[in-house]
Amino acid sequence: MPTPLQTADAARRLIVKLETISSLTAAEKEALTGLPFKLRELPENSDLVRQGDAPREACLIVKGFACRYKVLGEGQRQIMSFHIPGDIPDLQSLHLKVMDHSLMALTPIQAAMVPHEALLAITRAYPGIAAAFWRDTLIDAAVFREWLAGVGRRSAHQRIAHLLCEVYVRLRSVGLAQKDSFELPVTQAELADSLGLSPVHVNRVLQDLRRDGVIASRGRFVAIGDWPRLKAAGDFDPAYLHLKAREAA
Amino acid sequence: MTFQPVIVNIGEGAEGRLVFQDDQLVAVLVQLSALHGEQAGGWFLEPGFGPLAGPNPPVFADIDAASEWLAARLTAHAAISPPIERL
Repeated sequence: MPTPLQTADAARRLIVKLETISSLTAAEKEALTGLPFKLRELPENSDLVRQGDAPREACLIVKGFACRYKVLGEGQRQIMSFHIPGDIPDLQSLHLKVMDHSLMALTPIQAAMVPHEALLAITRAYPGIAAAFWRDTLIDAAVFREWLAGVGRRSAHQRIAHLLCEVYVRLRSVGLAQKDSFELPVTQAELADSLGLSPVHVNRVLQDLRRDGVIASRGRFVAIGDWPRLKAAGDFDPAYLHLKAREAA
Repeated sequence: MTFQPVIVNIGEGAEGRLVFQDDQLVAVLVQLSALHGEQAGGWFLEPGFGPLAGPNPPVFADIDAASEWLAARLTAHAAISPPIERL
């Protein structure tokens, strides 16, 4: 059984995330804290939700990294977004009943499941929460537009630098990055599958960025050696993340 | 199929092969450096042209493996795509 402390942690993650993109009143925060979270632990590489599923609950990430993906012909995979604590990556399942993609744990995940019924009730009772959820899914779409522009028109160097900037800014906005470093528990093959590159190109670009002192990485941790250069290398402008505080100014 | 040695600039000069079939350039292979861990020494299909182009370029253990794969792809393509006739 989850302890009250653990469900409070789930609520806190959700509130911290929503407050990066909208303003919540005390009553709205209290209502979010009262959601009936059901904690689940999922191992690395397991699916949280699969394409074709019709989920009746949504999945708040409390700990760990997840991604959205689709499997294409010949076992090829396209990763479409990365998700961090505080995100509800399948929030759209509240209104789009059948999943058109899958959601996978890239690390062991602690998730807090919330029944759709409870989410629908809270959005009816608190229009401010409905607006925050709406804004969150609109920002999702903005991120997809940015990724599409990258996959279509950015070079391998730009795509990788842009992704590093995006993950860093998002983690920092929810208090999960250190001053100049962050955890990126993603393999080079997973980066390749997200950026439309071969693992060979991903490896080359990461080596270049390291050699030039733009980043340093040890295992799953990325240290930013030169933030202005990393931003320039990725042609990165955080406006599309629509964060309330301009985190990356 | 012939493999002509060449140096390819991939940021630095790397050992490569221009791959010809019937006097046409069909692919460029580049040998992976020590930076590529267990794939070091393998041959990466840097660009493939026409039927050899694709989003998931393979790495081959050696030139023989590359030759076999490239020839099979070209043969399969020739079988399903007869030359386009002039209108």
